[in-house]
Amino acid sequence: MNRDTLSSRFSAGRVMLLARNRAYDDAPGLGIGLAIVAGLNLLSILIADRAFMNSEGDPSYAGLIIISGLILSSQAFKGMHGRTGADWILLPATPLEKYAAAFVSYLVVFPLVAAAAAMGLSFVLALVERAAGGPGTGIWHPISLAALRSYGEYAVVAVAFLAGSAAFRKRAFLKTAGLSVAFVLLCSLVVYLGLSLVHEATGSRGFSVSYDSGSLTVLGGDGPGALSVERTLRVLVDVVRLALVPAFSIAFGYLRVAEKEARDEVQ
Amino acid sequence: MVRMESMTFGYGKRPLFEDLDLRLEPGAIHGLLGLNGAGKTSLLKIAAGALRPERGSVEVYGRAPGKREAAALADVCFVPEDPCFPALKPAAWLGRYAAFRPAFDRGRFDELFAELGLDADKPISKFSYGQRKKFALAAAVASGSRLLLLDEPTNGLDIPSKAQLRRVLAAASGPDRVVVVSTHQIRDLELLLDPIIVIDRGRVAFTVTMAELSDRLGAARLPSIEGRPVVYAERDAVGWTALLATAGPGEAAPPDLELVFNAAIAAPDRLAAALRGDALPEYRPEAAALAAGGRA
Repeated sequence: MNRDTLSSRFSAGRVMLLARNRAYDDAPGLGIGLAIVAGLNLLSILIADRAFMNSEGDPSYAGLIIISGLILSSQAFKGMHGRTGADWILLPATPLEKYAAAFVSYLVVFPLVAAAAAMGLSFVLALVERAAGGPGTGIWHPISLAALRSYGEYAVVAVAFLAGSAAFRKRAFLKTAGLSVAFVLLCSLVVYLGLSLVHEATGSRGFSVSYDSGSLTVLGGDGPGALSVERTLRVLVDVVRLALVPAFSIAFGYLRVAEKEARDEVQ
Repeated sequence: MVRMESMTFGYGKRPLFEDLDLRLEPGAIHGLLGLNGAGKTSLLKIAAGALRPERGSVEVYGRAPGKREAAALADVCFVPEDPCFPALKPAAWLGRYAAFRPAFDRGRFDELFAELGLDADKPISKFSYGQRKKFALAAAVASGSRLLLLDEPTNGLDIPSKAQLRRVLAAASGPDRVVVVSTHQIRDLELLLDPIIVIDRGRVAFTVTMAELSDRLGAARLPSIEGRPVVYAERDAVGWTALLATAGPGEAAPPDLELVFNAAIAAPDRLAAALRGDALPEYRPEAAALAAGGRA
Protein backbone atom coordinates (compact mmCIF):
# COMPACT_ATOMS: atom_id res chain seq x y z
CA MET A 1 0.00 0.00 0.00
CA ASN A 2 1.55 3.30 -1.03
CA ARG A 3 0.58 6.92 -0.56
CA ASP A 4 -0.92 7.20 -4.06
CA THR A 5 -3.29 4.32 -3.36
CA LEU A 6 -4.28 6.00 -0.11
CA SER A 7 -5.85 8.95 -1.91
CA SER A 8 -8.02 6.73 -4.15
CA ARG A 9 -11.68 6.41 -3.21
CA PHE A 10 -11.73 2.66 -3.74
CA SER A 11 -8.64 0.49 -3.62
CA ALA A 12 -8.73 -3.19 -4.54
CA GLY A 13 -5.43 -3.50 -2.66
CA ARG A 14 -7.07 -2.39 0.60
CA VAL A 15 -10.02 -4.73 -0.01
CA MET A 16 -7.54 -7.59 -0.44
CA LEU A 17 -5.70 -6.60 2.75
CA LEU A 18 -8.98 -6.56 4.66
CA ALA A 19 -10.03 -9.91 3.16
CA ARG A 20 -6.61 -11.35 4.02
CA ASN A 21 -7.02 -10.22 7.64
CA ARG A 22 -10.46 -11.84 7.75
CA ALA A 23 -8.97 -15.05 6.39
CA TYR A 24 -6.33 -15.02 9.13
CA ASP A 25 -9.05 -14.48 11.73
CA ASP A 26 -11.30 -17.25 10.37
CA ALA A 27 -8.62 -19.85 9.61
CA PRO A 28 -8.39 -21.30 13.15
CA GLY A 29 -12.17 -21.84 13.27
CA LEU A 30 -12.16 -23.53 9.86
CA GLY A 31 -9.25 -25.72 10.96
CA ILE A 32 -11.05 -26.77 14.15
CA GLY A 33 -14.24 -27.55 12.21
CA LEU A 34 -12.31 -29.61 9.70
CA ALA A 35 -10.52 -31.49 12.48
CA ILE A 36 -13.82 -32.32 14.17
CA VAL A 37 -15.36 -33.63 10.92
CA ALA A 38 -12.18 -35.61 10.18
CA GLY A 39 -12.11 -37.04 13.72
CA LEU A 40 -15.74 -38.16 13.65
CA ASN A 41 -15.29 -39.79 10.24
CA LEU A 42 -12.08 -41.56 11.31
CA LEU A 43 -13.94 -42.84 14.36
CA SER A 44 -16.69 -44.07 12.05
CA ILE A 45 -14.07 -45.87 9.88
CA LEU A 46 -12.55 -47.47 12.98
CA ILE A 47 -15.94 -48.69 14.20
CA ALA A 48 -17.82 -49.47 10.97
CA ASP A 49 -15.09 -49.60 8.29
CA ARG A 50 -16.63 -46.62 6.49
CA ALA A 51 -16.82 -42.86 6.86
CA PHE A 52 -20.32 -41.69 7.70
CA MET A 53 -20.34 -38.76 5.30
CA ASN A 54 -18.17 -39.66 2.36
CA SER A 55 -19.62 -40.05 -1.10
CA GLU A 56 -19.51 -38.18 -4.36
CA GLY A 57 -22.81 -36.39 -3.85
CA ASP A 58 -22.99 -36.39 -0.05
CA PRO A 59 -25.03 -33.28 0.91
CA SER A 60 -23.42 -33.13 4.38
CA TYR A 61 -20.29 -31.37 3.11
CA ALA A 62 -22.28 -28.71 1.27
CA GLY A 63 -24.56 -28.34 4.29
CA LEU A 64 -21.63 -27.85 6.65
CA ILE A 65 -20.00 -25.31 4.33
CA ILE A 66 -23.26 -23.39 4.04
CA ILE A 67 -23.89 -23.35 7.80
CA SER A 68 -20.28 -22.36 8.54
CA GLY A 69 -20.42 -19.62 5.90
CA LEU A 70 -23.64 -18.23 7.33
CA ILE A 71 -22.25 -18.24 10.87
CA LEU A 72 -19.13 -16.41 9.68
CA SER A 73 -21.25 -13.96 7.65
CA SER A 74 -23.33 -13.21 10.73
CA GLN A 75 -20.11 -12.33 12.60
CA ALA A 76 -18.60 -10.28 9.78
CA PHE A 77 -19.15 -6.85 11.34
CA LYS A 78 -19.06 -7.87 14.98
CA GLY A 79 -15.93 -5.75 15.46
CA MET A 80 -17.69 -2.50 14.67
CA HIS A 81 -20.04 -2.89 17.63
CA GLY A 82 -18.94 -2.54 21.24
CA ARG A 83 -15.56 -1.65 22.67
CA THR A 84 -13.54 -2.19 19.51
CA GLY A 85 -15.92 -0.09 17.44
CA ALA A 86 -13.70 3.00 17.26
CA ASP A 87 -10.68 0.93 16.14
CA TRP A 88 -12.79 -0.79 13.48
CA ILE A 89 -14.26 2.45 12.18
CA LEU A 90 -10.91 4.25 12.20
CA LEU A 91 -8.93 1.57 10.37
CA PRO A 92 -7.79 3.46 7.26
CA ALA A 93 -10.12 1.97 4.64
CA THR A 94 -13.43 3.36 3.42
CA PRO A 95 -16.72 1.83 4.59
CA LEU A 96 -17.28 0.59 1.02
CA GLU A 97 -13.94 -1.23 1.07
CA LYS A 98 -14.73 -2.78 4.45
CA TYR A 99 -18.12 -3.93 3.21
CA ALA A 100 -16.70 -5.22 -0.08
CA ALA A 101 -14.02 -7.16 1.81
CA ALA A 102 -16.72 -9.02 3.75
CA PHE A 103 -18.41 -9.96 0.45
CA VAL A 104 -15.15 -11.17 -1.03
CA SER A 105 -14.42 -13.16 2.11
CA TYR A 106 -17.76 -14.90 2.62
CA LEU A 107 -19.16 -15.10 -0.90
CA VAL A 108 -15.96 -16.02 -2.72
CA VAL A 109 -12.94 -16.91 -0.57
CA PHE A 110 -14.65 -18.92 2.15
CA PRO A 111 -16.81 -21.14 -0.15
CA LEU A 112 -13.80 -21.87 -2.38
CA VAL A 113 -11.39 -22.60 0.47
CA ALA A 114 -13.96 -24.61 2.42
CA ALA A 115 -14.94 -26.64 -0.68
CA ALA A 116 -11.26 -27.33 -1.46
CA ALA A 117 -10.65 -28.37 2.16
CA ALA A 118 -13.72 -30.61 2.10
CA MET A 119 -12.54 -32.23 -1.16
CA GLY A 120 -9.12 -32.81 0.39
CA LEU A 121 -10.66 -34.29 3.51
CA SER A 122 -12.97 -36.49 1.45
CA PHE A 123 -9.98 -37.75 -0.56
CA VAL A 124 -8.00 -38.57 2.59
CA LEU A 125 -11.02 -40.29 4.15
CA ALA A 126 -11.52 -42.41 1.00
CA LEU A 127 -7.87 -43.50 1.18
CA VAL A 128 -8.12 -44.34 4.87
CA GLU A 129 -11.37 -46.17 4.24
CA ARG A 130 -9.76 -48.32 1.56
CA ALA A 131 -6.70 -48.93 3.71
CA ALA A 132 -9.00 -50.05 6.52
CA GLY A 133 -10.66 -52.56 4.20
CA GLY A 134 -13.84 -50.54 3.71
CA PRO A 135 -15.67 -49.88 0.44
CA GLY A 136 -13.61 -46.75 -0.37
CA THR A 137 -16.51 -44.62 -1.55
CA GLY A 138 -16.18 -41.78 -4.05
CA ILE A 139 -14.65 -38.41 -3.33
CA TRP A 140 -16.96 -35.50 -2.65
CA HIS A 141 -16.66 -32.57 -5.02
CA PRO A 142 -18.67 -29.39 -5.58
CA ILE A 143 -18.64 -29.49 -9.38
CA SER A 144 -22.28 -30.19 -10.17
CA LEU A 145 -25.43 -28.31 -11.07
CA ALA A 146 -26.90 -29.05 -7.63
CA ALA A 147 -23.81 -27.64 -5.93
CA LEU A 148 -23.97 -24.50 -8.08
CA ARG A 149 -27.64 -24.09 -7.20
CA SER A 150 -26.77 -24.54 -3.52
CA TYR A 151 -24.11 -21.88 -3.87
CA GLY A 152 -26.67 -19.49 -5.39
CA GLU A 153 -29.05 -20.10 -2.49
CA TYR A 154 -26.14 -19.69 -0.05
CA ALA A 155 -25.10 -16.37 -1.63
CA VAL A 156 -28.63 -14.95 -1.30
CA VAL A 157 -28.90 -15.94 2.36
CA ALA A 158 -25.29 -14.97 3.19
CA VAL A 159 -25.95 -11.44 1.92
CA ALA A 160 -28.88 -11.22 4.37
CA PHE A 161 -26.66 -12.51 7.20
CA LEU A 162 -24.02 -9.89 6.36
CA ALA A 163 -26.71 -7.23 6.67
CA GLY A 164 -27.81 -8.83 9.96
CA SER A 165 -24.26 -8.67 11.24
CA ALA A 166 -24.12 -4.95 10.44
CA ALA A 167 -27.48 -4.34 12.09
CA PHE A 168 -27.36 -6.42 15.25
CA ARG A 169 -24.82 -5.94 17.99
CA LYS A 170 -25.44 -9.29 19.69
CA ARG A 171 -26.77 -12.70 18.57
CA ALA A 172 -26.78 -11.59 14.95
CA PHE A 173 -27.05 -15.17 13.66
CA LEU A 174 -30.17 -16.03 15.66
CA LYS A 175 -31.82 -12.69 15.01
CA THR A 176 -31.18 -12.81 11.27
CA ALA A 177 -32.31 -16.43 11.09
CA GLY A 178 -35.47 -15.50 13.02
CA LEU A 179 -36.17 -12.58 10.70
CA SER A 180 -35.58 -14.77 7.65
CA VAL A 181 -38.03 -17.39 8.92
CA ALA A 182 -40.57 -14.67 9.68
CA PHE A 183 -40.11 -13.27 6.17
CA VAL A 184 -40.59 -16.69 4.57
CA LEU A 185 -43.75 -17.26 6.64
CA LEU A 186 -45.07 -13.85 5.60
CA CYS A 187 -44.36 -14.58 1.94
CA SER A 188 -46.09 -17.97 2.27
CA LEU A 189 -49.09 -16.30 3.84
CA VAL A 190 -49.27 -13.74 1.03
CA VAL A 191 -48.98 -16.50 -1.58
CA TYR A 192 -51.67 -18.54 0.13
CA LEU A 193 -54.01 -15.56 0.42
CA GLY A 194 -53.30 -14.60 -3.19
CA LEU A 195 -54.12 -18.09 -4.40
CA SER A 196 -57.31 -18.22 -2.32
CA LEU A 197 -58.47 -14.85 -3.62
CA VAL A 198 -57.87 -15.76 -7.25
CA HIS A 199 -59.56 -19.14 -6.81
CA GLU A 200 -62.53 -17.49 -5.15
CA ALA A 201 -62.81 -14.72 -7.73
CA THR A 202 -62.38 -16.84 -10.84
CA GLY A 203 -63.31 -20.32 -9.70
CA SER A 204 -60.38 -21.47 -11.74
CA ARG A 205 -56.72 -22.39 -11.27
CA GLY A 206 -55.71 -20.09 -14.14
CA PHE A 207 -56.42 -16.49 -14.95
CA SER A 208 -55.90 -13.74 -17.47
CA VAL A 209 -55.63 -10.04 -16.88
CA SER A 210 -57.22 -7.44 -19.12
CA TYR A 211 -56.92 -3.70 -18.95
CA ASP A 212 -59.66 -1.69 -20.51
CA SER A 213 -60.72 1.94 -20.10
CA GLY A 214 -58.80 2.44 -16.91
CA SER A 215 -59.94 -0.74 -15.14
CA LEU A 216 -57.99 -3.90 -14.46
CA THR A 217 -59.98 -7.12 -14.75
CA VAL A 218 -58.90 -10.57 -13.62
CA LEU A 219 -60.71 -13.35 -15.46
CA GLY A 220 -60.72 -17.04 -14.75
CA GLY A 221 -59.83 -19.57 -17.37
CA ASP A 222 -57.58 -22.50 -18.14
CA GLY A 223 -57.10 -21.76 -21.84
CA PRO A 224 -53.72 -21.58 -23.60
CA GLY A 225 -53.45 -17.78 -23.10
CA ALA A 226 -54.20 -17.91 -19.39
CA LEU A 227 -51.46 -17.65 -16.82
CA SER A 228 -51.09 -20.31 -14.20
CA VAL A 229 -51.67 -18.73 -10.79
CA GLU A 230 -49.06 -20.89 -9.11
CA ARG A 231 -46.45 -20.12 -11.75
CA THR A 232 -47.11 -16.39 -11.58
CA LEU A 233 -46.82 -16.35 -7.82
CA ARG A 234 -43.67 -18.46 -7.95
CA VAL A 235 -42.08 -15.96 -10.33
CA LEU A 236 -43.13 -13.13 -8.03
CA VAL A 237 -41.69 -14.91 -4.99
CA ASP A 238 -38.44 -15.59 -6.87
CA VAL A 239 -38.16 -11.95 -7.85
CA VAL A 240 -38.60 -10.96 -4.21
CA ARG A 241 -36.30 -13.70 -2.90
CA LEU A 242 -33.51 -13.54 -5.47
CA ALA A 243 -33.51 -9.88 -6.42
CA LEU A 244 -35.35 -7.60 -4.02
CA VAL A 245 -34.22 -9.17 -0.74
CA PRO A 246 -30.51 -9.32 -1.72
CA ALA A 247 -30.65 -5.77 -3.13
CA PHE A 248 -32.29 -4.53 0.06
CA SER A 249 -29.81 -6.48 2.24
CA ILE A 250 -26.80 -5.09 0.37
CA ALA A 251 -28.04 -1.49 0.55
CA PHE A 252 -29.18 -1.76 4.16
CA GLY A 253 -25.98 -3.48 5.34
CA TYR A 254 -23.75 -0.98 3.57
CA LEU A 255 -25.62 1.99 5.03
CA ARG A 256 -25.31 0.51 8.52
CA VAL A 257 -21.56 0.14 8.05
CA ALA A 258 -21.13 3.59 6.49
CA GLU A 259 -23.20 5.34 9.15
CA LYS A 260 -21.82 3.47 12.13
CA GLU A 261 -20.46 5.69 14.88
CA ALA A 262 -18.50 4.76 18.00
CA ARG A 263 -21.34 5.60 20.37
CA ASP A 264 -21.33 2.31 22.25
CA GLU A 265 -18.56 3.25 24.64
CA VAL A 266 -18.54 5.75 27.46
CA GLN A 267 -18.64 9.36 26.22
CA MET B 1 -4.40 21.56 11.60
CA VAL B 2 -7.76 20.83 13.19
CA ARG B 3 -10.68 23.22 12.83
CA MET B 4 -14.16 22.87 14.31
CA GLU B 5 -16.72 25.55 13.57
CA SER B 6 -20.16 25.86 15.19
CA MET B 7 -19.98 22.16 15.93
CA THR B 8 -23.00 20.68 17.66
CA PHE B 9 -23.13 17.13 18.89
CA GLY B 10 -25.14 15.16 21.43
CA TYR B 11 -26.23 11.74 22.58
CA GLY B 12 -29.96 11.29 21.99
CA LYS B 13 -31.73 14.53 22.80
CA ARG B 14 -29.04 15.65 25.25
CA PRO B 15 -26.64 18.12 23.61
CA LEU B 16 -23.01 17.68 24.61
CA PHE B 17 -21.50 20.45 22.47
CA GLU B 18 -23.37 23.43 21.11
CA ASP B 19 -21.78 25.66 18.49
CA LEU B 20 -18.31 24.71 19.65
CA ASP B 21 -15.42 26.45 17.91
CA LEU B 22 -11.91 25.07 18.17
CA ARG B 23 -8.70 25.53 16.25
CA LEU B 24 -5.60 23.44 16.89
CA GLU B 25 -2.35 24.42 15.24
CA PRO B 26 0.49 22.00 14.48
CA GLY B 27 3.73 21.96 16.42
CA ALA B 28 2.14 21.75 19.86
CA ILE B 29 0.91 19.23 22.40
CA HIS B 30 -2.56 20.47 23.30
CA GLY B 31 -3.92 19.56 26.72
CA LEU B 32 -7.65 18.94 26.72
CA LEU B 33 -9.15 19.32 30.17
CA GLY B 34 -12.71 19.05 31.43
CA LEU B 35 -14.84 17.58 34.16
CA ASN B 36 -16.11 14.01 33.97
CA GLY B 37 -18.77 13.87 31.26
CA ALA B 38 -17.69 17.20 29.73
CA GLY B 39 -17.12 15.37 26.44
CA LYS B 40 -13.33 15.11 26.15
CA THR B 41 -13.41 11.60 24.68
CA SER B 42 -16.32 12.51 22.40
CA LEU B 43 -14.41 15.54 21.14
CA LEU B 44 -11.41 13.35 20.32
CA LYS B 45 -13.65 10.85 18.55
CA ILE B 46 -15.27 13.63 16.52
CA ALA B 47 -11.84 14.88 15.46
CA ALA B 48 -10.88 11.31 14.52
CA GLY B 49 -14.08 10.66 12.53
CA ALA B 50 -15.50 7.95 14.79
CA LEU B 51 -18.38 10.27 15.71
CA ARG B 52 -20.07 12.74 13.42
CA PRO B 53 -21.33 16.17 14.45
CA GLU B 54 -25.01 16.94 14.04
CA ARG B 55 -24.25 20.43 12.76
CA GLY B 56 -21.23 22.52 11.95
CA SER B 57 -17.98 21.57 10.31
CA VAL B 58 -14.93 19.58 11.35
CA GLU B 59 -11.75 19.65 9.28
CA VAL B 60 -8.48 17.86 9.85
CA TYR B 61 -5.74 19.03 7.52
CA GLY B 62 -8.40 20.18 5.07
CA ARG B 63 -10.44 16.96 5.09
CA ALA B 64 -13.69 16.10 6.85
CA PRO B 65 -12.89 13.05 9.01
CA GLY B 66 -16.58 12.07 9.15
CA LYS B 67 -16.44 11.16 5.43
CA ARG B 68 -14.00 8.40 6.35
CA GLU B 69 -11.80 8.59 3.32
CA ALA B 70 -8.82 6.27 3.67
CA ALA B 71 -6.34 9.15 3.44
CA ALA B 72 -8.12 11.11 6.16
CA LEU B 73 -8.28 8.07 8.44
CA ALA B 74 -4.59 7.31 7.90
CA ASP B 75 -3.72 10.87 8.89
CA VAL B 76 -5.32 10.48 12.32
CA CYS B 77 -4.40 8.13 15.14
CA PHE B 78 -6.69 7.86 18.15
CA VAL B 79 -5.42 6.04 21.23
CA PRO B 80 -8.35 5.25 23.54
CA GLU B 81 -8.08 5.20 27.30
CA ASP B 82 -8.24 1.41 27.39
CA PRO B 83 -6.91 0.13 24.05
CA CYS B 84 -8.16 -3.28 22.89
CA PHE B 85 -6.01 -5.59 20.83
CA PRO B 86 -6.56 -9.04 19.33
CA ALA B 87 -4.67 -12.10 20.55
CA LEU B 88 -1.73 -11.45 18.23
CA LYS B 89 1.94 -11.00 18.91
CA PRO B 90 3.26 -7.50 18.12
CA ALA B 91 4.95 -8.55 14.86
CA ALA B 92 1.77 -10.29 13.62
CA TRP B 93 -0.33 -7.27 14.57
CA LEU B 94 1.99 -4.99 12.62
CA GLY B 95 1.89 -7.37 9.64
CA ARG B 96 -1.87 -7.07 9.56
CA TYR B 97 -2.52 -3.44 10.34
CA ALA B 98 0.57 -1.32 9.61
CA ALA B 99 0.01 -1.90 5.88
CA PHE B 100 -3.02 0.40 6.03
CA ARG B 101 -0.76 3.31 6.97
CA PRO B 102 1.83 3.93 4.23
CA ALA B 103 3.69 6.45 6.42
CA PHE B 104 4.15 3.89 9.22
CA ASP B 105 7.78 3.96 10.34
CA ARG B 106 8.75 0.43 11.36
CA GLY B 107 12.21 1.50 12.50
CA ARG B 108 10.77 4.15 14.79
CA PHE B 109 8.24 1.65 16.12
CA ASP B 110 11.00 -0.86 16.93
CA GLU B 111 12.95 1.84 18.78
CA LEU B 112 9.92 2.84 20.84
CA PHE B 113 8.99 -0.79 21.44
CA ALA B 114 12.45 -1.42 22.91
CA GLU B 115 12.47 1.85 24.86
CA LEU B 116 9.10 1.06 26.45
CA GLY B 117 10.32 -2.41 27.45
CA LEU B 118 7.52 -4.37 25.76
CA ASP B 119 7.59 -8.13 25.22
CA ALA B 120 7.74 -9.21 21.55
CA ASP B 121 6.86 -12.85 22.32
CA LYS B 122 3.62 -12.26 24.14
CA PRO B 123 0.20 -11.68 22.51
CA ILE B 124 -0.79 -8.03 22.91
CA SER B 125 -4.13 -9.07 24.44
CA LYS B 126 -2.14 -10.63 27.30
CA PHE B 127 -0.30 -7.36 27.99
CA SER B 128 -1.19 -5.52 31.17
CA TYR B 129 -3.33 -2.37 30.92
CA GLY B 130 -0.25 -0.15 31.08
CA GLN B 131 1.65 -2.25 28.53
CA ARG B 132 -1.28 -2.08 26.11
CA LYS B 133 -1.30 1.69 26.48
CA LYS B 134 2.43 1.83 25.81
CA PHE B 135 2.06 -0.42 22.76
CA ALA B 136 -0.77 1.73 21.42
CA LEU B 137 1.29 4.86 22.01
CA ALA B 138 4.31 3.40 20.18
CA ALA B 139 2.09 2.41 17.24
CA ALA B 140 0.49 5.86 17.18
CA VAL B 141 3.78 7.74 17.27
CA ALA B 142 5.23 5.53 14.51
CA SER B 143 2.02 5.67 12.45
CA GLY B 144 3.10 8.77 10.53
CA SER B 145 -0.31 10.31 11.23
CA ARG B 146 -0.25 14.07 11.56
CA LEU B 147 -2.98 14.14 14.20
CA LEU B 148 -2.43 12.13 17.38
CA LEU B 149 -5.34 11.96 19.80
CA LEU B 150 -4.50 10.45 23.17
CA ASP B 151 -7.24 9.80 25.69
CA GLU B 152 -5.98 9.71 29.29
CA PRO B 153 -2.56 8.34 28.34
CA THR B 154 -1.13 8.36 31.87
CA ASN B 155 -4.01 6.54 33.59
CA GLY B 156 -2.84 3.22 34.94
CA LEU B 157 0.85 3.83 34.24
CA ASP B 158 3.45 3.35 36.95
CA ILE B 159 5.85 6.20 37.78
CA PRO B 160 8.75 5.12 35.50
CA SER B 161 6.25 4.50 32.69
CA LYS B 162 4.91 8.03 33.06
CA ALA B 163 8.44 9.36 32.61
CA GLN B 164 8.85 7.15 29.51
CA LEU B 165 5.55 8.40 28.16
CA ARG B 166 6.63 12.03 28.64
CA ARG B 167 9.86 11.34 26.73
CA VAL B 168 8.02 9.59 23.90
CA LEU B 169 5.40 12.33 23.68
CA ALA B 170 7.97 15.10 23.66
CA ALA B 171 9.79 13.38 20.82
CA ALA B 172 6.52 12.68 18.97
CA SER B 173 5.70 16.33 18.64
CA GLY B 174 6.81 17.95 15.41
CA PRO B 175 6.27 21.08 13.34
CA ASP B 176 3.67 19.40 11.13
CA ARG B 177 1.93 17.38 13.81
CA VAL B 178 -0.97 18.16 16.11
CA VAL B 179 -0.97 16.19 19.36
CA VAL B 180 -4.02 16.38 21.62
CA VAL B 181 -3.92 14.82 25.07
CA SER B 182 -7.10 14.51 27.08
CA THR B 183 -6.28 14.04 30.73
CA HIS B 184 -7.38 14.31 34.32
CA GLN B 185 -3.82 13.72 35.50
CA ILE B 186 -2.65 17.22 34.70
CA ARG B 187 0.41 17.05 36.94
CA ASP B 188 1.76 14.02 35.03
CA LEU B 189 2.09 16.05 31.84
CA GLU B 190 2.23 19.61 33.12
CA LEU B 191 5.53 20.45 31.47
CA LEU B 192 4.48 19.09 28.08
CA LEU B 193 1.03 20.50 27.55
CA ASP B 194 0.89 23.86 25.87
CA PRO B 195 -1.66 25.28 25.16
CA ILE B 196 -4.34 24.17 27.56
CA ILE B 197 -7.95 23.84 26.39
CA VAL B 198 -10.69 23.63 29.00
CA ILE B 199 -14.10 22.46 27.85
CA ASP B 200 -17.09 23.07 30.05
CA ARG B 201 -20.87 23.06 29.46
CA GLY B 202 -20.59 22.18 25.79
CA ARG B 203 -18.11 24.86 24.80
CA VAL B 204 -14.43 25.69 24.90
CA ALA B 205 -14.26 27.67 28.13
CA PHE B 206 -10.57 28.59 27.82
CA THR B 207 -7.67 28.19 25.48
CA VAL B 208 -4.57 29.49 27.11
CA THR B 209 -0.84 29.10 26.47
CA MET B 210 1.68 28.46 29.22
CA ALA B 211 3.33 31.79 28.39
CA GLU B 212 0.05 33.63 29.01
CA LEU B 213 -0.41 31.74 32.24
CA SER B 214 3.04 32.50 33.60
CA ASP B 215 2.80 36.14 32.48
CA ARG B 216 -0.51 36.79 34.18
CA LEU B 217 -0.90 34.24 36.97
CA GLY B 218 1.06 32.85 39.87
CA ALA B 219 0.47 30.38 42.67
CA ALA B 220 1.14 30.97 46.35
CA ARG B 221 0.46 29.36 49.71
CA LEU B 222 -0.93 32.05 51.99
CA PRO B 223 -2.13 32.17 55.60
CA SER B 224 -4.77 34.70 54.53
CA ILE B 225 -6.07 35.86 51.15
CA GLU B 226 -7.40 39.18 52.33
CA GLY B 227 -6.30 42.07 50.15
CA ARG B 228 -4.57 39.83 47.61
CA PRO B 229 -5.45 39.71 43.88
CA VAL B 230 -6.92 36.24 44.17
CA VAL B 231 -8.32 34.59 41.05
CA TYR B 232 -9.22 31.40 42.84
CA ALA B 233 -8.22 29.86 46.17
CA GLU B 234 -8.58 26.57 47.97
CA ARG B 235 -8.54 26.35 51.74
CA ASP B 236 -6.41 23.69 53.42
CA ALA B 237 -5.44 22.87 57.00
CA VAL B 238 -2.96 25.72 57.39
CA GLY B 239 -4.27 28.42 55.09
CA TRP B 240 -4.87 28.87 51.37
CA THR B 241 -3.44 27.69 48.09
CA ALA B 242 -4.21 30.59 45.82
CA LEU B 243 -4.02 31.44 42.16
CA LEU B 244 -3.04 35.08 42.00
CA ALA B 245 -3.15 37.67 39.27
CA THR B 246 0.40 38.92 38.84
CA ALA B 247 1.98 41.84 37.08
CA GLY B 248 4.55 39.65 35.35
CA PRO B 249 6.63 36.47 35.56
CA GLY B 250 8.67 35.89 38.71
CA GLU B 251 6.27 37.69 41.00
CA ALA B 252 4.93 34.39 42.34
CA ALA B 253 5.57 30.70 41.77
CA PRO B 254 4.34 29.50 38.35
CA PRO B 255 0.69 28.44 38.52
CA ASP B 256 0.04 24.73 38.61
CA LEU B 257 -2.42 23.52 36.02
CA GLU B 258 -4.69 21.79 38.48
CA LEU B 259 -5.36 25.10 40.18
CA VAL B 260 -5.87 26.82 36.83
CA PHE B 261 -8.33 24.12 35.79
CA ASN B 262 -10.28 24.47 39.05
CA ALA B 263 -10.34 28.23 38.53
CA ALA B 264 -11.62 27.75 34.97
CA ILE B 265 -14.52 25.70 36.30
CA ALA B 266 -15.31 27.56 39.56
CA ALA B 267 -14.39 31.15 38.70
CA PRO B 268 -14.29 31.46 34.90
CA ASP B 269 -15.06 35.19 34.85
CA ARG B 270 -12.26 36.02 37.30
CA LEU B 271 -9.80 33.85 35.37
CA ALA B 272 -10.74 35.53 32.09
CA ALA B 273 -10.36 38.96 33.70
CA ALA B 274 -6.96 38.04 35.14
CA LEU B 275 -5.75 36.77 31.78
CA ARG B 276 -6.86 40.03 30.17
CA GLY B 277 -5.00 41.97 32.89
CA ASP B 278 -8.20 43.52 34.29
CA ALA B 279 -8.54 44.45 37.96
CA LEU B 280 -10.27 41.80 40.03
CA PRO B 281 -13.09 42.43 42.48
CA GLU B 282 -12.67 41.08 46.00
CA TYR B 283 -12.53 37.28 46.11
CA ARG B 284 -15.41 35.53 47.83
CA PRO B 285 -14.70 31.83 48.29
CA GLU B 286 -18.35 30.98 48.90
CA ALA B 287 -19.27 32.53 45.52
CA ALA B 288 -16.67 30.37 43.75
CA ALA B 289 -17.96 27.29 45.56
CA LEU B 290 -21.49 28.21 44.47
CA ALA B 291 -20.36 28.70 40.87
CA ALA B 292 -18.68 25.31 40.90
CA GLY B 293 -21.98 23.94 42.20
CA GLY B 294 -20.27 20.81 43.38
CA ARG B 295 -19.50 19.89 39.77
CA ALA B 296 -15.78 19.43 40.28
